[in-house]
Amino acid sequence: MGRVWPFHGGVHPPENKLQSNQSAIVPMPVPKQLVLPLNQHIGAPAKCLIEVGTKVLKGQLIASAQGFVSANLHAPSSGIITAIEERTLPHPSALMDLCIVIDTDGQDQWVDHAGIDPLSVHKGKLLQCIRSAGITGMGGAGFPSAVKLQAKSKINTLIINAAECEPYITADDRLIREYSEQIIAGIQIIRQLLDQPACIIGIEDNKAEAIAILSQALTGIDGIAVAVIPTKYPSGGEKQLIQILTGQQVPHGGIPADLGLVCHNVGTAKAIADAVLLGQPLISRVTTVTGKAAAKAGNYQVLIGTQVSDLMAFAEVDLAATSRLVMGGPMMGFTLTDHQVSVVKSTNCILASSELELAPVADHHACIRCGQCEVVCPAELLPQQLFWFAKAEEFDKAQSHNLADCIECGACAWVCPSQIPLVQYYRFAKGRVKTLHAETQLAEHARLRFETREQRLIDEKLAKEEKRKARAVAAAAAQAAKRAANPDAEDPIAAALARVNQQKQAAATSFTAEPPEDAYKALKTAAAITRTKLKKSSKALTDALASGHEQVESLQTTVDQLTLKADAAKAALSAYETKLGLDPEHEKQLQVTAAKAGAVVRKLEKSLATAEDAAAIEAQIVIAKTAHATANQALETYQHKSTALQQQTQES
Amino acid sequence: MALLNLSSPHHHSLNRTSRLMMWVLLATVPGLLAQSYWFGYGTVINLIWACALAVTFEALVLWLRKRPIKPFISDGSALVTAFLLALALPPFSPWWLTLVAVLFAIVFAKHLYGGLGNNPFNPAMVGYALCLIAFPVSMTQWAGTENTLNLAQQWQWFWTETLSGGIDGYTQATPLDLMRHTKGLTLGELAATNPVLGLGLSASAWINAAYLVGGLGLLALRIFTWHAPVAMLASLGLCAGLFHMGEPDLYPSASQHLFSGATMLAAFFIVTDPVTSATSRKGKLIFGAGVGLLVFIIRSYGAYPDAFAFAILLMNLAAPLIDTYTQPKAYGHQGNKDNER
Repeated sequence: MGRVWPFHGGVHPPENKLQSNQSAIVPMPVPKQLVLPLNQHIGAPAKCLIEVGTKVLKGQLIASAQGFVSANLHAPSSGIITAIEERTLPHPSALMDLCIVIDTDGQDQWVDHAGIDPLSVHKGKLLQCIRSAGITGMGGAGFPSAVKLQAKSKINTLIINAAECEPYITADDRLIREYSEQIIAGIQIIRQLLDQPACIIGIEDNKAEAIAILSQALTGIDGIAVAVIPTKYPSGGEKQLIQILTGQQVPHGGIPADLGLVCHNVGTAKAIADAVLLGQPLISRVTTVTGKAAAKAGNYQVLIGTQVSDLMAFAEVDLAATSRLVMGGPMMGFTLTDHQVSVVKSTNCILASSELELAPVADHHACIRCGQCEVVCPAELLPQQLFWFAKAEEFDKAQSHNLADCIECGACAWVCPSQIPLVQYYRFAKGRVKTLHAETQLAEHARLRFETREQRLIDEKLAKEEKRKARAVAAAAAQAAKRAANPDAEDPIAAALARVNQQKQAAATSFTAEPPEDAYKALKTAAAITRTKLKKSSKALTDALASGHEQVESLQTTVDQLTLKADAAKAALSAYETKLGLDPEHEKQLQVTAAKAGAVVRKLEKSLATAEDAAAIEAQIVIAKTAHATANQALETYQHKSTALQQQTQES
Repeated sequence: MALLNLSSPHHHSLNRTSRLMMWVLLATVPGLLAQSYWFGYGTVINLIWACALAVTFEALVLWLRKRPIKPFISDGSALVTAFLLALALPPFSPWWLTLVAVLFAIVFAKHLYGGLGNNPFNPAMVGYALCLIAFPVSMTQWAGTENTLNLAQQWQWFWTETLSGGIDGYTQATPLDLMRHTKGLTLGELAATNPVLGLGLSASAWINAAYLVGGLGLLALRIFTWHAPVAMLASLGLCAGLFHMGEPDLYPSASQHLFSGATMLAAFFIVTDPVTSATSRKGKLIFGAGVGLLVFIIRSYGAYPDAFAFAILLMNLAAPLIDTYTQPKAYGHQGNKDNER
């Protein structure tokens, strides 16, 4: 007996197992028609291998797995393929999909088949045998079993799920009681494939007989332990069972193999034994038919593809008394509105309930956030918050509250005092999240496409540029080659460039020096400005001294500085003049003389208008004009001389 | 028979909102009896009056809001509000005081916010706080324990607020009130000089014990989890105990705090209101502890002798924030730090 850990939450709905587990499994006779959906498992649908009109034998492969996650499909009985057409699927959506229809011939004639001794073959052969038998998880999800047997990492513990926590269902219970040897054989084959991990069989304590039989069958067998776990829904959920048996939680987004664990259903173990030891593919399963409307409630060995209507007729279900027909258990199963659907590889129960047997349809009340859902949630979520978020369509908040971790076990809805169909809200929210995610992906895809196109256009442009450059280089090379062939010829481009350069240089030199007059003028201006400033400051200083102003000292400093500057400017000017051999005083004198002469001339001319002795004055004017002209002449001569001197200095 | 097409689960427990509410109502009975034994018929008269008003207002507002009346009336939530109000109001409450309290609780605090499940504040506490602020005299008129009115006198007072011989002989300050206005005496001196305090304390201890019994019953029935009430009582007891250890003459002991005023009524019937408290278990612990702390602060330093209403309304305000930071780790997220919040 292995150690058992608790898991959070869980509920105790009425078990209702006694109705169906009191009698042995009854093999149901071959029905007239079998309808086999091509997709009974998680993954890609199988590919049809036969045509209408083909005669098939029991166990003959009729559709083959496509891809890694897929499963083969075999004819459950001998007969003729009468149709390959769309039929209603045993699925909550009640959608139609391709099904192979076999009209059985009643012979139930087997195809040639033989078992192998698992100990005498290598792993690959064993795995191939299981894969070709089309075995999928028998617990409900229907995941192809061979995939889980090809562990990528080391598996330390094999968990066999015999919890069967859903109320009403007893298929595994009866299977254990009647086929314990085959189940153990199947477990040993699995262990062989996974390098002999320890095995724990988890079984709820409400199956006392099955536990006793299993324990007895296991006496003398090492490595396989039975762990009796408390009856509490949903202990049979894979994640919950792993926590119960190992105390570990499967990480979010991970798989049990991440913890070195793998989980298989007890029915799967039996199917594996049949496939390996007998060579029989998965063509039938044990299904519980129960509910108050079923007169012969019990477990039936049913061929895959049997119509639910045929099975119900065999179990004497009173259709008129059936108000709700559920495929699966009352907690997680789905209702069928059409009973012309098939029993598939994962169908563990048909529950035909009378009117008051299951909870009546109730108007649900307001959520009062009582928190009882939180208490029972095995995923440790806040179901009441998720409900508000789903209702308000706040899907981002729902996701941040781990909507994705909801296993839809229905414990919250079962316990809800306001009878809110919580699971339906979560399914809605999950569906919307999926749609929104798909839309986001589409948008992302479109964005990528746009960006790629833009990049492509840029690349094309660049490539064009590159080509152009390459062409230019080639042309230059051709020119060079031409020149090399005729070296004496003048290069017209080089000549033109040289000319242009020459012109540029000439222009540059002509602008390098400042004209001499400008230099002289600049010096004169500088001297004048400093003089003016000095005068102003001196005046300010005098005023300040007079009024006893407080800034006297700073003014004094300014004046001193300006005096120095003015002296320096004057010195620079005179130095320049001396350097040029100029004499400004002389020039001034000449100017004054010329001006005076001019003034005399103007005075005389004025007096001429009023004078009596005009002739005498006119004579004076002539003399004055001559003097003026002489003075002007002298000034001009001097100025010419000084300009020439300046130019000379500059050029030298 | 036409086959039903429904989403799973197809089975349901017998758990119902009305059943939860009924248990809550039943659990108040010990407290109601104790309160009536010590303070007379006032509480019972108020209770009947409050229930009639609550159901009337509920039906009226549902009709105005064009909601189905019968299913909502039958959920019993209006009755719970009426019970809590009647138990919290003083036994000498006149008819109009209860009317104002119930009106505000049902119409304003509950339905104007969207009805059951949508109200952010505890309706009973909103009604109570409103009256405490608006009618402080009526709200602090507590009945004396040694001299109670007979049914006729109580009936007369309830409708007319007059009483031959005056009400003064029958009213009395509550122990919490007395302990606040010590007139410079230490608590020990006070108890020695004022025999009423001792009697009042024992009455209030009995009443609190009765509510405790009812509350433990609800806990046993798993109507609510232990987190909020235990956290509240623990934080109040801890604060009171620490201060009492430091200054025993100024601060009443932890047991006096826990067994006086409305401590147990609040701990098991008001703090546990699921609609207005925090959601997760951790959140409920924080919520309860916050209420306990605020109660101690307001009792010791506030202007009101007992202020559960304010403490609870303040924590109601904080509940969404608490929810944000106390999201439990989901299955498989144990090692995931991002999910810590």
